[in-house]
Amino acid sequence: MDIFLTQLSNGLAIGSIYALIALGYTMVYGILRLINFAHGDLFTIGAYFGLTILTTFALQGNVSPLIIPWILIIMAAAGVAVIGFLLERVAYRPLRNANRLAAVVSAFGASIFFANALKLIYSPNRQSYPVDILDLPNIPIFGVDVPSKRIIMFATAVLLMSMLYWYINHTRTGTAIRAVAIDQGAARLMGINVNRIIAFVFMIGPALGAAAGVLLGLFYGQIHPEMGFAFGLKAFVAAIIGGIGNIPGAMLGGLLLGVVEAIAGGYISGSWKDAIAFGALIIILIFRPTGILGERVADKI
Amino acid sequence: MIRKTLYAALASLPLVYGSAAMAEDIKIGLLAGVTGSYASEGQDTKRIIDLLAENLNAKGGINGNKIQIVLEDDGSSPATAATAATRLAAAKVPAVIGTYGSAVTEASQDIFDEAGIVQIGTGSTSIRLTEKGYERFFRTAPRDDEQGRVAEESLNKLGFKKIAILHDSTAYAKGLADEIKTRIDENKRGEIVFFDALVPGESDYSVVLTKIRAANPDAIFFTGYYPEVGLLLRQKKELGWNVPIIGGDASNHADLITIAGKDAAKGYRFISPPLPTDLDTPLTKEFLDSYKAKYGSYPGSIWSVASGDAFIVLTEAIKAKGTDPEAIAAYLHNDLKDVQGLSGKISFNEKGDRVGDLYRLYEVDGDGKFVIQPE
Repeated sequence: MDIFLTQLSNGLAIGSIYALIALGYTMVYGILRLINFAHGDLFTIGAYFGLTILTTFALQGNVSPLIIPWILIIMAAAGVAVIGFLLERVAYRPLRNANRLAAVVSAFGASIFFANALKLIYSPNRQSYPVDILDLPNIPIFGVDVPSKRIIMFATAVLLMSMLYWYINHTRTGTAIRAVAIDQGAARLMGINVNRIIAFVFMIGPALGAAAGVLLGLFYGQIHPEMGFAFGLKAFVAAIIGGIGNIPGAMLGGLLLGVVEAIAGGYISGSWKDAIAFGALIIILIFRPTGILGERVADKI
Repeated sequence: MIRKTLYAALASLPLVYGSAAMAEDIKIGLLAGVTGSYASEGQDTKRIIDLLAENLNAKGGINGNKIQIVLEDDGSSPATAATAATRLAAAKVPAVIGTYGSAVTEASQDIFDEAGIVQIGTGSTSIRLTEKGYERFFRTAPRDDEQGRVAEESLNKLGFKKIAILHDSTAYAKGLADEIKTRIDENKRGEIVFFDALVPGESDYSVVLTKIRAANPDAIFFTGYYPEVGLLLRQKKELGWNVPIIGGDASNHADLITIAGKDAAKGYRFISPPLPTDLDTPLTKEFLDSYKAKYGSYPGSIWSVASGDAFIVLTEAIKAKGTDPEAIAAYLHNDLKDVQGLSGKISFNEKGDRVGDLYRLYEVDGDGKFVIQPE
């Protein structure tokens, strides 16, 4: 039982990272019907920005360790939001009315560009966040020793997701985003600046991805320029499991994927856990082709 | 056209390289990948052999005869290695040092064997190279199964009985893990309580650590590479678990400490062939000093150092028996015993494999330094 609970906490922790990244995929898909394949790399850039901010401003030791994550998240998210905005302007907006395949190719091009830019700027070697940052004792939960880092990470991710959920459902801009997702033409007739909303979504999604990157660096330690590919793929799967285009679906899909992986890795085999996780995706899609919380969208994809 | 020019340039290489040749010079062939994907290994190999030949010639060479190195570039590829080997055979060298990469070496083996030339492989660890019955093939690199033997030996020596073996599904790491498993099963000096793989390149290994923890081992042997070792150490500490982790030579990399942090890395042990910088003998000291004086740094790879070992045993054999390949081979097989090389003592068995304990145990100290353990 202890082992089960520990594996569950391991799965929820990594799942919260998947969920944060999946939000970026799902929001962009929701309004543009486009899979932003460069999103995984924006996540990586966020992790690198966080490391640069941490070392440049010598935060460690001068600021309370409980505030450091928030400083890093806010600054890295702001930086990556700008990159997301530019990405939409340069790589996607010119292709808005082109064939959908053209936009996908453009997305892959952007992804390759980002990964290589990171290698040139930061070197292709792996880098690490300092080990002794957030040196806190483990917390016993139901008799299981959970590293407090994991709890902070999970709580932070859930808080960010709740903020997004509230923002989308309870503000004017949020309402506008939902309106654009449902029908761009009608939204434009209602006086919504569709281009501005799309640009805004391309800032929120990457900002959340950057937050996930910072959390990953802070709590797991090691980052490298190619990691966006694997995480992007997993998060993409999470978005599909939850129902792509659906925000609570992305959160649920991310956490579920993390837990399925942890249970598969913990009880079956570490080398088979990805195969099992992706197998779960296929089974879910057979029974619910639009994902667990997928909308009744006949016209999507 | 380009290819023709390239071949012409390559063909002229030995001539240019050995332009100071005298009639009584002793030629030694060097097959090294100075270009191609293993170029860093090949170039360092060339530097080491050049240096050793220079030093030996400055001391008067072998019995008054100067050594002349005939270099051919194998381009780090089996196809180029075959043409390079043919050219070395045509140059009538009695013996050849090289090369890096088991597949590259294998492509040259037949050619040297037919030409009756002694070959001493350097960075070629694949088991089958010495299982084909070549009488004049030797190697100064350890075989792939040697590491497995030493791993089992070390686990036993350190007193661990319940062993968890973890690999990363790569050919190298899985092969080593299987080798250790076979030996533990055969020798019955311990029990394997866990055998599985992790997925390399991930950020979180707490799932696999939790799973291993449930098996309650005395020690974990991880056969994979240093980035995963670093994360395993770091996350094991976070889980508040203090089981020792032991690794293979793929974890011999300084970045391990940055990833894990000094605290978590302290006490980590791994087995690896030693770098000359870790061996405190007069020979290594003299070699390192002259290498640094000439090139400004220390050699970084154990495989290029293995080529230095090949040079040392070859010149020993020529000193004793002259330049007849058969006599050299017989000397290396039978008479050469425990010659002090750059990576430790060197002897060969009847297959041409290096014998003796090349692998050494390292332990990480409190400052994050890799400290070689006394034998």
